[in-house]
Amino acid sequence: MLANQNSKKPSDHFELLYKTLLDSIPSSVLMIDDKLNVISVNQNYLVKSRRSKENTINCPLSDVFPSVILENTGFDNHIRSVLRIRKAIRGQKMTYRGPGVPIRIYYYSILPVVPGQVMLIMEDVTEQTNLSEDVRRVERHLASVVESASDIVLSIDMNGRILTWNSAAADLSGLSSDEVQSQLFHEYCEPGKKTIIEESLLYISGLRRANDSYTIEFCLLTPTNNNNTGILISWVFSPMKDIDGATIGAVIVGRDLAERRKLELQLRQSQKLGALGIMAGGIAHEIRNPLAVCSSAAQFLLSDGVDLEFRKQCSMKIQTNINKASTIIENLMAFAGSSMDGNMTDIVLSEALEGTIALVANQAKVQKIKIELMQSPEIILVSGVVGLLQQVFMNILLNAFKAMPSGGSVSVTIECLSDSVEVQFIDTGIGIPVGDIDKIFDPFHTSSPTGQGTGLGLSICYRIIQQHLGSIRAESSPGKGASIIINLPLLLI
Amino acid sequence: MKNRILIIDDEEDMCWAISHILKSQGQSIVTASSGEEACRKLSEGCYSLVFLDAKMPDMDGLDVARFANKLGNDKPQIIMISGYHYANDPIICNAIEEGLITGFLSKPFTNEEILLHYHVHRNAM
Repeated sequence: MLANQNSKKPSDHFELLYKTLLDSIPSSVLMIDDKLNVISVNQNYLVKSRRSKENTINCPLSDVFPSVILENTGFDNHIRSVLRIRKAIRGQKMTYRGPGVPIRIYYYSILPVVPGQVMLIMEDVTEQTNLSEDVRRVERHLASVVESASDIVLSIDMNGRILTWNSAAADLSGLSSDEVQSQLFHEYCEPGKKTIIEESLLYISGLRRANDSYTIEFCLLTPTNNNNTGILISWVFSPMKDIDGATIGAVIVGRDLAERRKLELQLRQSQKLGALGIMAGGIAHEIRNPLAVCSSAAQFLLSDGVDLEFRKQCSMKIQTNINKASTIIENLMAFAGSSMDGNMTDIVLSEALEGTIALVANQAKVQKIKIELMQSPEIILVSGVVGLLQQVFMNILLNAFKAMPSGGSVSVTIECLSDSVEVQFIDTGIGIPVGDIDKIFDPFHTSSPTGQGTGLGLSICYRIIQQHLGSIRAESSPGKGASIIINLPLLLI
Repeated sequence: MKNRILIIDDEEDMCWAISHILKSQGQSIVTASSGEEACRKLSEGCYSLVFLDAKMPDMDGLDVARFANKLGNDKPQIIMISGYHYANDPIICNAIEEGLITGFLSKPFTNEEILLHYHVHRNAM
């Protein structure tokens, strides 16, 4: 390794081999003597530092390394101590900037090789350092995404113990991440959810892909809140997998449903107002008719010489027509004021349908549409919110009206199946285009010209029927009308 | 029999009211409670004046008016009565401009308004 000019010695061969070896390794290797002069250097160092062999070998260390480095790292002192006590120093970090080269980061070791000489090995770890810096940056970024999410993001292990708990979870529950750490998740959920969480874990551990998930709704308890009823959350369980693909827990994202419920309610309310708007024309017609009769009859009574018989007739007409007008208003009030968020009650299906039909009857008359309700002999009960079901029926009927611009008919049939009841609305309108039949329940799908339909009616129907544990579908052949079929679970008495 | 009046409305009580208003005028009055019945009566007999409801379950009032206008020389004068339209409704204005109807009354009306239309019609004859 040391310069030796005698080429005839058998060690020549090995010396050359070592030199080649040293020059080819990607680390810098320098030999330094006890006067802190560089006595040997490999190719890698010369390339990295952009120095020539001539101005490096036999030069003092302070000439070879920038003085800044020597001062900052205490590098020369380290070398002196290794020379003195002959104990290696390993894995020190040094930032090195050669003239005109970008900053590099090195790990260096100082090894006592022979007495009076040390070997300095410098390994370039710039790339690795940058890489781990990047990893840390991504980690920080992900953590801040999870932390700043407005949804609850938490993770649990396979035993259901909480691993992480983001600030949205802390805000909603009132419990900090430290408080819940390693606690069982079900203890913070409404009672009786232990099994459901276990089953969810079992279910998702069977899922093949990490982006498959399992959705469920239940309450998160809010112990800090006085009325500890909890907040209804929609939870999405996804498997958390280790590097070998084994499920080691679950990532659970939870969304506060209160906000969504509120929006849904507003949407239904405005949709209902829209339906009332459509019916306003028909209602005006139907109220002004009895008003006109009453007005004329009252004027007859005012004239002179009215005989008793006619007087009686006039009073009767006034009374009947006032009743007619007030029935129309009552139906309207019942619909407009119907609870949109009430509790499920037992509903006689035919009565709910009759009420709705009575309400749209005026509009049907104006559009020359006949509505036929085929009653079934038995009383059919379903569980539901009357106002919501009537909104569904009304939407379907008004849609049917729209499909029959020059009149037609809608027949409504009720048919009992084994454990459910099917309500069919069959119209004689223009029908639904073949490609649209799958889309009509999508929000904002509309066949109406811009500004004349929001395209939300049927999507609201879909959601309402879904909440009643039923289903809704459409059948149609273009030009031959359409059928909307609602299936609701039968309430057995 | 040219002086007969036809009252068309699907609401029986409306026919009753208008008939009674005009009864005092000593006119012969016929009523029809659907568009179809009205068309039949219009083609069978002669009417000089028609009070016509705008919206009936089987026909639109304006369609009945179109039918009546095709009757050639026996074309009656038509007063449309509606709870659905307003007097300045474009549909009504157009119908009057086209000569499809001669006048319009919105429900509810006063008995005098009906009589006024009747007298205008009488004087025009």
